[in-house]
Amino acid sequence: MRHRPQSHPINLCHTSVEKETMKRSALVAATLALGLVLTGCNANPELNDDSQSDTLGETHKGGTLSIFSEDPDIDFDPGKSQGLAITSLGLVLRRLTTWDIQPGKEAKVVPDLATDTGKASDDGKTWTFTLRDGLKYENGKPITTADIKYGLERSFSTELSGGLSYHKSVLVGGSDYKGPFTGKELDSIETPDEKTIVFHLNSAFGDFPWIASMPAFSPVPKDSDDPGKYGQDPVASGPYKVESNKSGAEAVLTRNDEWDEDTDPVRTAGPDEVVFKLGQDASVTSQALISDSGDAKNGFSASFVPASQLAQVQNDANAKSRLVTSGPGALAYLAMNNESKGLDDVKVRQAINYAVDKNTYRIAGGGEIAGDYASTLITPGIPGRQDYDLYKADPGGDVEKAKSLLKESGEKLGTLKLLVKNDATSVAQAEAIQEALARVDIKTTIKSVDTNTYSADATANKPDYDLVLGSWQPDFPSANGNIQPLFDSSQIGNGNFNLSRYENKDVDALITKATETVDPAEAQKVWAEADKTIMEDAPIVPLIYTKNSFLHGSNVENFVIGDFPAYPVYFKASLKG
Amino acid sequence: MNRAKFIASRTIGAILVLLIIAAACFAIFYLMPSNPAQYSCGKPCSSDRLAEVERYLGVDQAWWKQLFDFLGGIVTGRTFGSGAAAIHCDAPCFGYSFRLRESVTDLIVSRLPITLSLTLGAAVLWAVGGIAAGLITSLRRGTFTDSAVMGAAITGISAPTYLLGLLGVLLFGFTLNVLPIGGYIPLTENPAMWAFHLILPWVVLAIANGAIYARLTRGQMLEVLGQDYIRTARAKGLSETVVIGKHGLRNLVVPLTTLFAIDVGGLLGGAVITEKVFALGGVGTLLLEAVSSLDIQVIVGVTLFAAAIVIIANLLADLSYSLLDPRIRASR
Repeated sequence: MRHRPQSHPINLCHTSVEKETMKRSALVAATLALGLVLTGCNANPELNDDSQSDTLGETHKGGTLSIFSEDPDIDFDPGKSQGLAITSLGLVLRRLTTWDIQPGKEAKVVPDLATDTGKASDDGKTWTFTLRDGLKYENGKPITTADIKYGLERSFSTELSGGLSYHKSVLVGGSDYKGPFTGKELDSIETPDEKTIVFHLNSAFGDFPWIASMPAFSPVPKDSDDPGKYGQDPVASGPYKVESNKSGAEAVLTRNDEWDEDTDPVRTAGPDEVVFKLGQDASVTSQALISDSGDAKNGFSASFVPASQLAQVQNDANAKSRLVTSGPGALAYLAMNNESKGLDDVKVRQAINYAVDKNTYRIAGGGEIAGDYASTLITPGIPGRQDYDLYKADPGGDVEKAKSLLKESGEKLGTLKLLVKNDATSVAQAEAIQEALARVDIKTTIKSVDTNTYSADATANKPDYDLVLGSWQPDFPSANGNIQPLFDSSQIGNGNFNLSRYENKDVDALITKATETVDPAEAQKVWAEADKTIMEDAPIVPLIYTKNSFLHGSNVENFVIGDFPAYPVYFKASLKG
Repeated sequence: MNRAKFIASRTIGAILVLLIIAAACFAIFYLMPSNPAQYSCGKPCSSDRLAEVERYLGVDQAWWKQLFDFLGGIVTGRTFGSGAAAIHCDAPCFGYSFRLRESVTDLIVSRLPITLSLTLGAAVLWAVGGIAAGLITSLRRGTFTDSAVMGAAITGISAPTYLLGLLGVLLFGFTLNVLPIGGYIPLTENPAMWAFHLILPWVVLAIANGAIYARLTRGQMLEVLGQDYIRTARAKGLSETVVIGKHGLRNLVVPLTTLFAIDVGGLLGGAVITEKVFALGGVGTLLLEAVSSLDIQVIVGVTLFAAAIVIIANLLADLSYSLLDPRIRASR
């Protein structure tokens, strides 16, 4: 659920008489099938998963890199961004810290504008960062901590809300602060001098170095800020500046000559120019990349290859050599509404954990290349993850065990309502769940709705579902990002993501304890304990850790995906000489 | 009824229709479970912040209140938020997109050249091609040409634009590699490249829309050619060109004009699928994105724009009847 909706529901009040607005999803499938026929492919290839990241090598400087995006526009406003540190905004805006992503390695938080990843006071409630020497904006002016403070403050204003907001409840006074446009400052951020910035937190927060890598921790010079337009062309601190940014067409980034490679530990700034091709049709982009023609030769797609087109890629040796599949990433899961009658019984939820058929679910999503079977809440690639399986069974499930647990519980289950998005893949996955549960005489009805309605229903205060299919990739590579948003009782309803409506005081306490533990190794132990404690209550069924596959052109190199996140590192990709 | 009176009464009718459409849009989105504020609340989002964002976007108000605010904005302009970050949308304000940080009027104005280029070019193609195909088949009724062209027309009517578009891209963009697969070059920047990039979308849209013109022309012509006065004209010894051109074709002008006006009007409101396939960021794409991100003001603004264009196109068609057909003139 963390990404922009890709499906487009038909507008209810569109009065145009154009006949082409209908019957779209069926068409996509038909067209893809046709694509297979046209290229002479076997529609049922054996999928194997031997594509892997390039290893990082020398970066050649020069050329124009194209990035194909379905989104019709890019808003570079750091306050409004929910982007990962390694994607679009990471090319233009530096933060206090950032992510070092290497193929086959766990993600690491590294200093970006700062000299280290932050020094915590003994109680973990005060964090101090110092800026490197010689940092400049694209206009040659020095980057100061006052600008980082201002950048954070403006993210609190209603006008610029919408971005990653983890810092808002963590900083002292953050919950009531309304932003700088009302003339007030946030006193819990102090800047004793131009190089030093101090944060005062409500309670100890061990993952603060990760929080400091989020977009809102980018410097924004106050005198250049026009809240209405800043996202069009922000003042660049990274290797690229925005040359032009035309909604519905393209955004062009060119070199920022004031950026100094020696001060930047992660960005390699290979291409002279980066062009975001906006509003691209996903099927057309995939075809362009498969045939490696035109701009696609020097580019890659910002969206992963849809399951339906993976088959075609696997059969094309040339395209396959340019396919990069991530490691197992986001957790796809079946959430059970723990407040629903019957599902409030832990035995029933455990029974459903045994009853579900993860194999048919995975096939509905594209088969083996879609991901690995899941059993834990903390996802692979996140430091401190412990592998375990409380409900051991074949991927097909254990029907006998499920039946006996149901009998033990004595619950009489009514027909359960299963909420899903209405795209073809989600509905197929829901049907796999439906069939699996029918094996243990649990009846379900599938309620498939458009993406907007799905998000609203799933995160509403009064849920109208018993079961819901969800997917979650943490916003930062800490177990905190896996567990707190999905299982803390404060995250129920209100647009938040505790879809199973799970409430356990002991777990809340464990989450608080882990969050407040500053030593990473110690914190990781507590998170692992929380992981298991939650799964004993079985609020959800972990289904698979999904993998994303991306295509790049033949002239692109250093195109890497780490263990986390399941997305390519934009600022390391470069072009061959 | 004189012409001024006619236009006046139609204008009043049009305004009423637009009001009803605007009211329906606000009512529908108000009744839907989705909350547009959730998109701009941030992640994670606290209930206090959500309430603030709802207030800022104005979606906490009842739908009729939102409608009145919208209508008021057309007359007096609107201001959103307060203090240094306040946003002004000058009168006449047809809505403001918080997502794109631009007024709906500016958004439509900047996207319209693309939709205009796409629609008008395609319209010329499908009108000429469709009518020509209809004429030829009606004159060669029952021949192989007739069946072949009409068969193609049926395919054109029933083939979905998305499929036609993707097939066009696969064949001409990738397999033959002779045409660009998408994108838009402004006419003012490079007329040749403008046309080059639009050939494929034009043809696709023309096939999808032109087929109905072929069928209509053929059907009407067959009916007309069976009339007594055509026989008389032929008997008088008039050349076939005059019989068809002067006595036959004129009968088709009114129905074809009506259809053409509605089609062009409709597409100017956004050729959604064609724009999407060919990455043309026109009015259709604007609407599509607004719907998927619940950008209500853009949805209402673009919908009203599209409706207004259709109404105007119909009005022009009606006005043109008396010029095109002497019988209508005589009956007034």
